[in-house]
Amino acid sequence: MELALSYVDQILIFAIFAVSLNLLLGYTGQISVAHAAFGAIGGYSIGYLLLNNHVPVLAGLGVAIVAAGLVGVIVGIPALRLSAEWLILLSLAAQTIIIALVSTSSAFGGTYGLQNIVGLSVFGHSLTNPSDRLPLFLVCFLIVYAICWRMGESPYGRVLRGIREDERACRSLGKNVFAYKLMVFGVTAAMAGVAGALLAIDSSLAAPALFGFDQSTTIIAMVILGGMGSLPGSVIGAALLVLLGPFFERVLNINGDVTFLWRLIAYGLVLVLVMLLRPQGLLPDPGAPLRWLRGRRARAGGGSAEPVLADTALPSATAAAAAAPAALPALERNGGDIVLEVSDLSKHFGGIIAADGLAFALRRGEIAALVGPNGAGKTTVFNLLTGAIRFDSGSVVLHGHEIGGMTPNQVARRGMVRSFQDVRIFPFMSALENVMLAFQEQPGEHLASLFGRPGVTAKVEREVRERAVEWLRFVGMDALAAMPAGALGFGQQKLVALARVLATEADVLLLDEPASGIDQQWVDVMLGLIDRVRAAGRTVCIVEHNLHVVERLADHIYFMELGRITARGSFDELTAMPNLAKAYFGTA
Amino acid sequence: MLDNVLQLTVNGLINGTSYALLGVAFSLILGVTGRFHVAFTFTYTISAYLAAVAGERAGLPFWAALLVGAAVGAVFGVLMERFIYRPLAARGSANTLLMIFVASLGLSIIGRNVIGLIWLSTTSEQINSFTNAGINVGPLNFTTIDVVNVVVTWTLIIATSVLLSNTKLGRSIRAVRVNPEMSLVVGIDPGRVFLAVFAIGSFLGGVGAVLTATKTSAVPDMGFNPLFYAFVVAFLSGLDTRPVRVGLVGLGLGLVESWSEIWLPTIWTSLVVFAILFVYVALRPVQFRLLFHRFAPRRAVKA
Repeated sequence: MELALSYVDQILIFAIFAVSLNLLLGYTGQISVAHAAFGAIGGYSIGYLLLNNHVPVLAGLGVAIVAAGLVGVIVGIPALRLSAEWLILLSLAAQTIIIALVSTSSAFGGTYGLQNIVGLSVFGHSLTNPSDRLPLFLVCFLIVYAICWRMGESPYGRVLRGIREDERACRSLGKNVFAYKLMVFGVTAAMAGVAGALLAIDSSLAAPALFGFDQSTTIIAMVILGGMGSLPGSVIGAALLVLLGPFFERVLNINGDVTFLWRLIAYGLVLVLVMLLRPQGLLPDPGAPLRWLRGRRARAGGGSAEPVLADTALPSATAAAAAAPAALPALERNGGDIVLEVSDLSKHFGGIIAADGLAFALRRGEIAALVGPNGAGKTTVFNLLTGAIRFDSGSVVLHGHEIGGMTPNQVARRGMVRSFQDVRIFPFMSALENVMLAFQEQPGEHLASLFGRPGVTAKVEREVRERAVEWLRFVGMDALAAMPAGALGFGQQKLVALARVLATEADVLLLDEPASGIDQQWVDVMLGLIDRVRAAGRTVCIVEHNLHVVERLADHIYFMELGRITARGSFDELTAMPNLAKAYFGTA
Repeated sequence: MLDNVLQLTVNGLINGTSYALLGVAFSLILGVTGRFHVAFTFTYTISAYLAAVAGERAGLPFWAALLVGAAVGAVFGVLMERFIYRPLAARGSANTLLMIFVASLGLSIIGRNVIGLIWLSTTSEQINSFTNAGINVGPLNFTTIDVVNVVVTWTLIIATSVLLSNTKLGRSIRAVRVNPEMSLVVGIDPGRVFLAVFAIGSFLGGVGAVLTATKTSAVPDMGFNPLFYAFVVAFLSGLDTRPVRVGLVGLGLGLVESWSEIWLPTIWTSLVVFAILFVYVALRPVQFRLLFHRFAPRRAVKA
């Protein structure tokens, strides 16, 4: 009985490791191979304090959590700013170094580690036998699981999945991606610290071998086997791999040192085979990217995307018009006062001049268009305005405040949001979630209110859902709200992306080729929508090649060549200029 | 003091030479194919073990054993690319980087522990067909294998450099590195180039493994630290494919690591590489163009 319970204890410990890593790996898409090393921080912290300072177990656990979380943040700060492979590299380095440090330090017992961590008790309840430890472990597991579930399956988790799918798009919607990643990295490292501390208590030992690279890999194998993005899956994965040890020993009669080798070979096989045969794991997360690997896209959509768009998806003009007033909060039209003023904006990439003394203004309730030949720097202007690229000199004033030097998410929160030429939709999230992610100031996106004010969070979440549906209705996509956005046709994706931009409630919208690459019928829908956005008093700037679009929408046109604005005026004025008419507009 | 510094410099150059070869091998694989090839640990280790077997059991002379070992490593590298990585990449998932990383991690663990099982009783393998002797030049000490290491490694790095710039294969490799889709258009098969790159990279790594094992011995875990150094050198050199430049980065890393012993106790020197990496990453501008290009997740949904 005690033996069976000792396995249960082990399963609970590794379930904590696996569930927390899943939040990082499965939800947020950040690959860390240092999870066991963060466990080591926890295990060694509590072991040292218990042996040398005889602190209460729970106090030691608290220190273990804080220490592991802090180390996690320190490791994460440099790596998380960069693309995923840096995190792999730095976490690999952290794993190596942390274990190297503890195994060479005499205070931590060198390669033998801290031994004889025994005679422990919590509130007078001894922790000597597996059955004694079970309640403590179970409580820790439940708390960690609950926190992970709350963080993952909530508006917070929606942002995390957005980060997994497209960091840049996430940032463009006003989310501070770096802060989210760092928070998750720190929290999951702290949870690994809990698991490490429990592992030290369970083994009466904190030794390098308990927390080595092999252990990190084992935890990854548990997450992969159970299914990335599925918390119950991680618990099952942990249970299966923990029970593999007794399976080898008792059923296959493989004993001694060899057991350990066979177990690791089995873990390795799990990783390779799951990737080759069932990348989504045992319990796939319904929205996880890996689920879509095996040609399931069409099936999951309930049919091919194309026929849907023609009939049901096209909004009839009247329906959309009826929806518009409700959906678009009427901004007051102030006779076209200046909302965004750009002056003397310049940017050089080495010898290439991307922007050279640009000056223009966007007025409320007007649509401006940037036109010009390929390579003129039109999209670069959007990148400069939104802070995706820092400009060399000049100023960008939004609502009377200089926004130069701000990050894309800060600019978005100030009320200027862009769309992307290549849409950058979150393909494995539903159309509805795509739009819901765009709302600003959701209490559920902050841990304090997510945990502290669950009632408010739930209420706002319902409102966000309703309003997101309204936006989808506005663009005529409400019938497809539940579809994974990646399964939609390109024109539909553009509409969802428009709804996403509108839902940020930014009043300056920078739309990068909103009507390119889609069928004519969709172009008309799109133009009608943008027209109504203008009518509601928002300010729009488009980059567009399609002159039909420009003619129909733009109040004011800026003609760009080689990073400079060389002509400006209304459509008629520009087409009247002989040099432009010939070179660009065609002599029609 | 001065003698000490000189000795540390020599040590640094010798270690740095090993890092240089690892970096060249790895940046070729990572830079051209974009595969996060953790199982480099396995091709590395198996090269050392099989060179030992070829030398000690089959009685091959040292140089033949070296070639056999490295060639076996190359074969395993090619097999992994052909039968594991390529099928995974062919699925065109949004998360190819992760999938290949995970599978490669699995291969690496399987390889390490299968070696552990096969060599259960002996654990380590010595390569005795090379007679290692101490060399003293004034106050400086090193060994013949160090000299062989330096000569062989830099010869190979220069040879790789020539291969890349002056042969048809080399031009294909560079073309694929820049743009796999485009190279397909001009008649280069990226799949075959990837195989060639895995062969070359694993071969170079294997040579380094045999030389290292000759100096010490082959052990099942011997691949892990080299993987780390290979990563670090490859990243610090920005996955540059010019082997000589990558090699110099490796050499520099070895020197800095070795010189740090002047100020730091030996047990802390492993921290130095970490510190270099950390500072470099922290100071690095956010946009890392080349990696961005290579690893930008392929959009799951094409326009």
